[in-house]
Amino acid sequence: MNALSPASTRGVAELAQPGWAAELELGFAVVAGRTALVHRLHRGPLSVQRPFYPEGGVAHVYLLHPPGGVVAGDLLSVQISVATGAQVLVTTPAATKFYRSQGRVAEQRQLLCVQEGGCLEYLPQETIVYGAAQVKTRTRVELEPGASFCGWDIVCLGRAASGDHFTAGELDQAFELWQGSRPLWIERARFAATAAVRNAAWGLGGRRVSGTFVCTGLSPVAVAAARAAVDYDPAKELFAVTQTRSVILCRYLGDNTERARQVLAAAWAAVRPVLFGRPASPPRIWLT
Amino acid sequence: MDQPDLALLRLLQIASPALPIGAFAYSQGLEQAVLLRWVEDEPSASEWIEGVITEILPRLDLPVLAELYAAWAAGDLERVRFLSQFLHACRESAELAAEDRHLGAALARVLGGLGVPHAQAFIADADATFATSFSLAAVHFQVPLRSAALGFSFSWLEQQVAAATRLLPIGHIAAQRLLSRVLQRLPEAVTRGLDLTLVDAGFLAPGLALASALHETAYSRLFRS
Repeated sequence: MNALSPASTRGVAELAQPGWAAELELGFAVVAGRTALVHRLHRGPLSVQRPFYPEGGVAHVYLLHPPGGVVAGDLLSVQISVATGAQVLVTTPAATKFYRSQGRVAEQRQLLCVQEGGCLEYLPQETIVYGAAQVKTRTRVELEPGASFCGWDIVCLGRAASGDHFTAGELDQAFELWQGSRPLWIERARFAATAAVRNAAWGLGGRRVSGTFVCTGLSPVAVAAARAAVDYDPAKELFAVTQTRSVILCRYLGDNTERARQVLAAAWAAVRPVLFGRPASPPRIWLT
Repeated sequence: MDQPDLALLRLLQIASPALPIGAFAYSQGLEQAVLLRWVEDEPSASEWIEGVITEILPRLDLPVLAELYAAWAAGDLERVRFLSQFLHACRESAELAAEDRHLGAALARVLGGLGVPHAQAFIADADATFATSFSLAAVHFQVPLRSAALGFSFSWLEQQVAAATRLLPIGHIAAQRLLSRVLQRLPEAVTRGLDLTLVDAGFLAPGLALASALHETAYSRLFRS
């Protein structure tokens, strides 16, 4: 795998779909002892601020999408490559909003590649799916042996405060970790407004906000730390931590995106010292 | 005896609750759903079980079972390995992954004892899954794919109903009523499951995933999942 030119997702040009296509490619590598942004390519309204270094070696990066919202037919594509030894934390300054559609799908694709000894923390703000939106998101993480990754996906169905209760529409979401041809972890959500999953107890139980934080590594200490880091009110929300063969998973289900971020950020802060050997250093932009 | 008769009898054998694989020890998150009071009587148990059997199985286990069946039939062991790893990658929690591995290994042990080729290798294999061993048995005993998928779903359903009777005050007749209700939806659910391609396989049920993870730290437990 050449971390600087990821090739496993198709380019925007191959998609004949009309709509606004935006593409961003970023490559990080260690230069003179520090993680640097060594490759950057963008088309359309997706860009990145210059990395900054609030905690020494780790490059903090904000992905920017100035339109703020995604409409039917749009395709957002993000590719990030982290080379050996590079340490990167990516977040966004605002939620990604998917607007209502007459039928066409809006799509977001993310390909995140980490080489041996590299570390990527991918912690964007939430995805808000407006009522009647048709949304497809794909996050594929390709890890070499010895690569570290953590990331989350927080989704909110509808905007309850504006009376949008997501009575129509669908979110089709995939979040996957692979090591070569071997699947390490796969989560595929199909949240359709009218499907049984919406209200069933085994599904969303009528809740609007669902979040998963996934982290590579095997560590009972990290699992215990994440559990201890979160207090929640079972009448309003649920939070649980588990460890599968390759990853630690923290899941949240509730009705408030800010709360979801707070809970998963607390879990992230608890596992980071254990798994990555660094104290938590929450991006300042989360506080604004 | 005709081959179809034998195939039916073999299916009854591998789908039987008397099969010595310890399936009775697992509730698939149902015990935690009861502890959370999401499930507390026959109607709510019926709704939970119906959801698991007709919404979740057809979107993950059944399409993978179909692919496994084809892979065993073609003797493609590398594909069998990949599909087993795919199922494990989709398991939502430590307990659900452990359950799948234990049941898969236990069924492989039974099949190995019956002389089914390739079964032995999965007894101590971290990639073992119930669907991997079940599909191997189905191919070996010439059980048609659709019958195998129906039997697979039925054994899952029967196991869930049995767990419900241990967790809730549901009598034996009520349990059979519950079983009958969900059973009638199996043919349609199996059709959906077999029509789904692997690209579309996988289905997050957040409530089930959370319940299963919470079960790991539950104070008192009857079941291992």
